[in-house]
Amino acid sequence: MAVNLKRSSGGGTQVAVSRRRMLAWITGTGLVGSGVLSAVSNFVFIKPRATYGQPQRFSIGKPEDFPPGTRIALETRRICVVREGNRLAALSTTCTHLGCIVGLADTGFACPCHGSRFDADGTVTGGPAPRPLPWFKVTLAPNGEIEVDKDTEITPGSYLTL
Amino acid sequence: MSKETASPSLLTAVKELPGNVWKSLFRNPLPTNDLERSSTSFTNFFLHIHPVKVHKNTLRPLYTLGLGLVSFFLFVILVVTGILLMFYYVPSTAQAYDRMLDLRGSVAFGTILRNMHRWSAHGMVAVVVMHLCRVFLTGSYKKPREFNWVLGVVLLLLTLLMSFTGYLLPWDQLAFWAITVGTAIAGYAPVVGKDIQFLLMGGSTVGQEALLRFYVLHVAVLPATLTLAIAIHFWRIRKDGGLSRPADADPTPPMEMMGAQAGSKPSLPEGKKTYGLQGLVRGPLTKVNNIPDNTVFSWPNLFMSELFVFVMTLAVILVLALLFNAPLEEPVNVMHPPNPAKAPWYFLGLQEMVSYSAFWGGIGVPGIFVGLLLLAPYLDRSPKGVGVWFSRDRLLANTIFLTFLAANIIFVIIGTFFRGPNWAFVTPW
Repeated sequence: MAVNLKRSSGGGTQVAVSRRRMLAWITGTGLVGSGVLSAVSNFVFIKPRATYGQPQRFSIGKPEDFPPGTRIALETRRICVVREGNRLAALSTTCTHLGCIVGLADTGFACPCHGSRFDADGTVTGGPAPRPLPWFKVTLAPNGEIEVDKDTEITPGSYLTL
Repeated sequence: MSKETASPSLLTAVKELPGNVWKSLFRNPLPTNDLERSSTSFTNFFLHIHPVKVHKNTLRPLYTLGLGLVSFFLFVILVVTGILLMFYYVPSTAQAYDRMLDLRGSVAFGTILRNMHRWSAHGMVAVVVMHLCRVFLTGSYKKPREFNWVLGVVLLLLTLLMSFTGYLLPWDQLAFWAITVGTAIAGYAPVVGKDIQFLLMGGSTVGQEALLRFYVLHVAVLPATLTLAIAIHFWRIRKDGGLSRPADADPTPPMEMMGAQAGSKPSLPEGKKTYGLQGLVRGPLTKVNNIPDNTVFSWPNLFMSELFVFVMTLAVILVLALLFNAPLEEPVNVMHPPNPAKAPWYFLGLQEMVSYSAFWGGIGVPGIFVGLLLLAPYLDRSPKGVGVWFSRDRLLANTIFLTFLAANIIFVIIGTFFRGPNWAFVTPW
């Protein structure tokens, strides 16, 4: 204490003040910085790295399970499988408006929650839905089963030719 | 036995034990004079949040309608019933619904506790909104109460979040689809929307992770935040000078009493003025000479009013809980949304707006509304019309507010009664 006093009076006050200021800056930055870091790490923590729901990529069976003319909703997978002749596709049945499950209707799809309507290709024909129903990538796996990848959306109208 | 003759014997100590324990608990007897009335207020932990004396205006039932107190007491009921319900609830998709049935069927008082919790939750949303209306329509958000108003808006949002997170927990059809829709609305927020939705649900759909997250938010994170915000809200009432009152509620003392010279600006004698601690407190505190005093002692005036409001609140909730059962729909079926899928009533206005445009209905318009509410005291800075209902000086502000309010209520009514399957317009009769 005494040493400090002597220095500040003898060695020039400016040096003492700037040292104090610098220490205050370091302390302040350290505290604020660690506060921000821990706040950010909270978000990193609550953002799951692995999710426990259904897999986004799955097999739906052999092509024979879906004879030509099929239009069937796989409700647990939230997709609708369409087969016309040799062509097959999978459309999402999750409404693009607020995530309800659209039902199959004569004219295409209809959402029970807020009345959005889609035609058979998933194009919006009425209601508040902002986007058409996405089409998912469909491939034929080597074991002959049809595989749907819900992580990859494809251009509406592109079918898998069997 | 003891060398110190002054200290009482063990026998006397035992004899006087009950009285001494009582006196150590409560420092004051039931007050019979003003000094004891003050003393009772500030030596009791649960009472010392109150001022020793309150303004008469604060106690006018038709001015405040007791709405803030009712909100608080509903929160207390919610905390107590909520903690009791936690003893039997399991936040798991496999068990939650069965636990609801257990509460209804085999847990003693399970039904009435759940009913009380449900009706208090609905009631709290309604009363908090009414409290907001009272504060706005009496101009009570104005200086120096701007920040407490902002806190109040935050409390409203927290109340809605509490209600929203609690909605999922029964894990019935209503819960599942209301939350599916609600989290999807959050997903429309610009930039961070999708992230918020993902963080809330802990995945891409409402499932086990979402249930657990909503549970933790509902029973820990949000109640703690709400409690802290309520504490600050109460603290600020006193620091901002008590409840608002008309400017003429306290007649100003004649000038000569203030020691001012006639015709000259009152000035402080240089160098002689000393400030005590009281100088740090805003607003009139020290009552000198004949300055009119419009305050009354909190004991018993304020405390009896509070007790009355509490008993009434509890009575109404009890009667509701005995008469009406909280709804419980079918267990969750993720494949079949009910038609129409409706959110809780206080979000039906939102859902109605969302049926026109998801962004504007779910984020845009509510965002503007909340923004305007938060900024109200900083935009409307005229000091006039405080402390009176529907003051003529506040015609414009009140009209704008009531228009927004009426629009909201109309949307809620349309969403509740006039929407049928596929959200098509129906008439309820």
